[in-house]
Amino acid sequence: MTEDAHAENGHDGLPPQTAVKRWLVTTNHKDVGILYIVTSLFFLVFGGVLALLMRVELWTATQTVIAPGAYNETVSAHGLIMIFFFISPFAFGFANYVVPLQIGAEDLSFPRLNALSYWLYLFSGLLFGTSFFLGGTFSGGWTMYAPLNMPAYTPTVGGTTAVLALMLFVASVTVSSVNFLTTMHRQRAEGLTTLKLPLFSWTILLTVWMMLFAFAALLAALLILASDRIVGTVYFQATEGGSLLWAHLFWFFGHPEVYIVFFPALGIMAECFQTFCGRRIVGRKWFIAAMVLVAIQSFFVWMHHMFLTAISLEIKTLFMATTIGISLPFDLMVFALIYTMVKGKIRYTTPFLFSFGALVLFIIGGITGVFLGAVVLDYEFRGTYWVVAHFHYVMVGGATALFGGLYYWYPKITGRMYDEFLGKVHFVLYFVGFNLLYFPMFVAWETPRRVFEYHQSFVAWHQLASIGGFVLAAGFLVMFYNLYKSLFAGEEVDGNPWEYASSAEWSVSSPPPFENFPGLPSYGDGRLRFLTPGRGGEVADGGTATGDDALDAAADPATESDRPQSDGGTVTAEAARPEIARDETADTALPDAEAEEEHPDHASYWPLAIGLSAYVTFLGLSGIRMDTAMYPALTGVGLVMGAFSFVGLGRESFHVPEMAVAERWPFEGVENGKLGMWIFLASDVVLFGSLIGSYVFIRVAYGWTAWHVVPHDPIPGLINTYLLLTSSFTVVLALVAAKRESTRGLVASLGATVAFGVGFLYNKGIEWQELFHEGTTVGSSVEASTFFLTTGLHAAHVIIGLLIALFMIAQALKGAYLGEEGSRKVEYFGLYWHFVDIVWLFLFPLFYIL
Amino acid sequence: MGIDPPFGKGLVNVIVEHALHSGGADDIRTTFDIFREIFLVFLVIGTAVGVVVVAYMTYNAYKYRDGNGTADSGDVSRPELGELPSGSGGGKKLFVSFFFSAIIVVSLIGWTYGVLGYYEEGPTEAETDEALEIEVTGYQFGWQFTYPNGHTNSTLVVPQDRPIRLTVTSDDVFHTFGVPEQRVKTDAIPGQTTKTWFVANETGQFEARCYELCGSGHSYMTADVVVVRQSEFHDWYDNRSAAENETQADDDPDTETGTDTEGRLVGVPSVTTPNHATEPTTIEP
Ligand code: HEM
Ligand SMILES: [Cu+2]
Ligand SMILES: [Cu+2]
Repeated sequence: MTEDAHAENGHDGLPPQTAVKRWLVTTNHKDVGILYIVTSLFFLVFGGVLALLMRVELWTATQTVIAPGAYNETVSAHGLIMIFFFISPFAFGFANYVVPLQIGAEDLSFPRLNALSYWLYLFSGLLFGTSFFLGGTFSGGWTMYAPLNMPAYTPTVGGTTAVLALMLFVASVTVSSVNFLTTMHRQRAEGLTTLKLPLFSWTILLTVWMMLFAFAALLAALLILASDRIVGTVYFQATEGGSLLWAHLFWFFGHPEVYIVFFPALGIMAECFQTFCGRRIVGRKWFIAAMVLVAIQSFFVWMHHMFLTAISLEIKTLFMATTIGISLPFDLMVFALIYTMVKGKIRYTTPFLFSFGALVLFIIGGITGVFLGAVVLDYEFRGTYWVVAHFHYVMVGGATALFGGLYYWYPKITGRMYDEFLGKVHFVLYFVGFNLLYFPMFVAWETPRRVFEYHQSFVAWHQLASIGGFVLAAGFLVMFYNLYKSLFAGEEVDGNPWEYASSAEWSVSSPPPFENFPGLPSYGDGRLRFLTPGRGGEVADGGTATGDDALDAAADPATESDRPQSDGGTVTAEAARPEIARDETADTALPDAEAEEEHPDHASYWPLAIGLSAYVTFLGLSGIRMDTAMYPALTGVGLVMGAFSFVGLGRESFHVPEMAVAERWPFEGVENGKLGMWIFLASDVVLFGSLIGSYVFIRVAYGWTAWHVVPHDPIPGLINTYLLLTSSFTVVLALVAAKRESTRGLVASLGATVAFGVGFLYNKGIEWQELFHEGTTVGSSVEASTFFLTTGLHAAHVIIGLLIALFMIAQALKGAYLGEEGSRKVEYFGLYWHFVDIVWLFLFPLFYIL
Repeated sequence: MGIDPPFGKGLVNVIVEHALHSGGADDIRTTFDIFREIFLVFLVIGTAVGVVVVAYMTYNAYKYRDGNGTADSGDVSRPELGELPSGSGGGKKLFVSFFFSAIIVVSLIGWTYGVLGYYEEGPTEAETDEALEIEVTGYQFGWQFTYPNGHTNSTLVVPQDRPIRLTVTSDDVFHTFGVPEQRVKTDAIPGQTTKTWFVANETGQFEARCYELCGSGHSYMTADVVVVRQSEFHDWYDNRSAAENETQADDDPDTETGTDTEGRLVGVPSVTTPNHATEPTTIEP
């Protein structure tokens, strides 16, 4: 892709934004960000309509409009949609759009994976929507407690569909976490050390780290649940701890999730307070330290959701202490935001009002949360509207800041200003509606949660709340009208419409050019500059400001008065393509980059195709136990489509963003691909860790020694251990051969790996066959369930590894993967394969010997 | 419901009840009393903190508004486009506030921790009469109570002023057993048992209900709790045995369980509810 092509064809071979096709094939982070934002707003409406439905039902104290079972579906779907399909994706719309701009990257590290995250998200949401039409969606609450989540109690196909939809959503989150982490750790502009990241980027960085691990635990829980519902294992209905196991797994995910939801909002508050108060945040380092502490500690408080179970006083004390501990850093953050206003020059723009409102709501939510931290009070509040009011103040309080973010970045994204008056109207309706909706719930706190029949004496309060709900909804009508109208009628803005905005997204035009920056961004000498890379790899300072962007920046009055060199010496817009400025220090070139001259594309249909295949497959799986051929057929079609799409994705030549010079601490020595693989494996460690933990938990509850080890004979397992270990060795040989540029050696070693892997599966097949023969099936006992599920998941990892290896053999036969560069992919595969082998080394003793 | 204040219970009631509270010195300290005291203290301090902080915020937002003149004193450095992010000073003030808020939170929770042990374990045998041990089993959608003599009942009949110790479990899904007026609540988990206790200082009829979503009948999953004088309880209890157990109540969520049991409360004089009871009912002979 040449510079002119960029300029003239507009967008690197992508159709223009007005064409539908563009949105189906795009991989650009800004487009994906917009897709996320629009889709999540759709789910806001979906979840909001369900909420209003509940508020209508709660108008009187007795059951009226919604049938009992339907109410349970409504409350469950509302919670799941708002938490999974609205609030985080909304925040990640901004993250997609803004983070690369803030850190000085041209795009995320793996643009196609980014598009894939989006499509998986969209299709998971659609799958969830579909669940309503398959006998009713899941009705066991968003916490999905066991054993109510078992088919015996929630038998609909739609219930299973909803569970699978969540699994698909987790897949989206995992892909996205890997992508963001790689990008944020390896593609920061020179001089932008981790500590110097703008606060919104900081919150996203911590959010994705939390997501990576928390969602892996959720995936383990959902895998077991899906297996119980589809395959017929009996994990969560085991009276030996099955019910508690779910609670542990769910809340191990669930508490970090609270911060996953809230952190991006905090980041937006920090940005908006800085910009609209015209003050840098007070105690910035402490603010960051507090967030880091919260992010880590969030994994050690989950049992405060289980104070009413039979856990001992000691454990309650411990978790009470960690819970108070985690509330304190928030005090610090709140005060930091408040003190940022002092000596400020505060402009009450819509984004500021929303951020300010969010802080007020969060303070109320936080104070009422301290009540819940006192175990004695929690005993009574559990399961009541106190909790409902509290978490809405915190979570919807967070969403308040996200709406502020929508207004804040609207001019950046669209190039036009929203209507300030309508924005303020929205804020007033929102803030009044919000408090009218949720504050009465504190007063009527003795109403139990998730009921449609409550005590007569609370009717007035619930009616107030219902009115508040409709006022809040009216505010959103104003918002949608404003956003739509301003798209055409809004005043056009230049790069930076906000005085005192400081982060890099404001230094380029609105909307930013396709490649984001007019040159390689650098903070090397303390200020943002765009460098012009020269041929030999030396990076020259562009002397003149020729691009619009530089002019924008120069035209900004604030910049003009404060920056002596703003006549163009600082912000330069010379032709610059960071990706060709590769020098010796840039050890990051990927093989695809060599194809630069062959015009690698920015467009790909494959992420969409994979998302669609996943949708079809999971839809089929959810009803596969039904007596119709349709569901198995759907599954089969989906799998074939998926295989086809993955191969297509693997064979496509594609544009890979690279930065010649970047801050990469602490991963200087690791290329993007390898780092991505490591991060992915880290989440897989948590997945298997959770499954092994579940096994140990159930086994302890059962009685460790009373437990029957399922395979009577450890010998097949032992043989399999040897097979896998040998295959690890052949993978190493494959890498050596690839580096020595020996196609024959490479193909032979990969072939041997495949042979060992097939041997492993064959051996396992025989072993399972025998067990089935004796009547030991997946559902015959909890021992059998844990054995088949955990080793089965491992076998699935082996199968995926084998498919990748077969694909690589096919490519290698055509001469791929040779040399230092080319062998990298073999190395990544090797990492995966070794990991799978190591997992087996844990599973073998646990399931065959102990 | 005539005795309820116009807007029902909730916050209003806690405060009203606290003002009216007249528990005798020789009463056992009930979970109701403990909860009320702690809740009230939290409410007062929480409201005060909230009002002060939000007022201070609003004051600053107003004082430092653009165009007010306060902002243009010149010596304040403002963020500039393209600068490396950094912070403002003011760390000292930040830490002082943080320190104060931390003290409030930690001491509040620490204070409640003092009673947690008692709240968990209940009064010792030495302090009170021997406790009455009752097993509670939740099922979709009702409760069953099993007395030490093996008698099972769908109404929880208990004596006044005597510790009641509950061992709670579930026959099917996860439920949570609670009697809001007695401030007692614990999870009912299949395959597990949890323990809790309460002492009812006043006679009357109350409602036990489920606090964890457990299926379509969750809203209706209630049981009656009848507190009677000790002598009356003995009369009732001595005439019960495992042999005349009623069958487990039917699953129809609309069925008001308990009336049948009340009918059996032969010779029990009328009991009126204290002001925190659900329904001012009378138990007919
Ligand atoms: C960002 C927005 C929101 C989020 C994240 C959110 C989240 C949740 C969650 C997690 C639940 C618990 C569901 C369950 O118990 O399984 C819930 C319940 C509920 N929400 Fe929302 N919600 C949001 C907005 C709203 C709005 C706008 C309304 C009213 C118009 C509302 C009304 C309710 C009601 C009535 C319940 C049922 C409470 C219960 O019975 O437990 N929510 N919400
Ligand atoms: Cu939590
Ligand atoms: Cu229930």
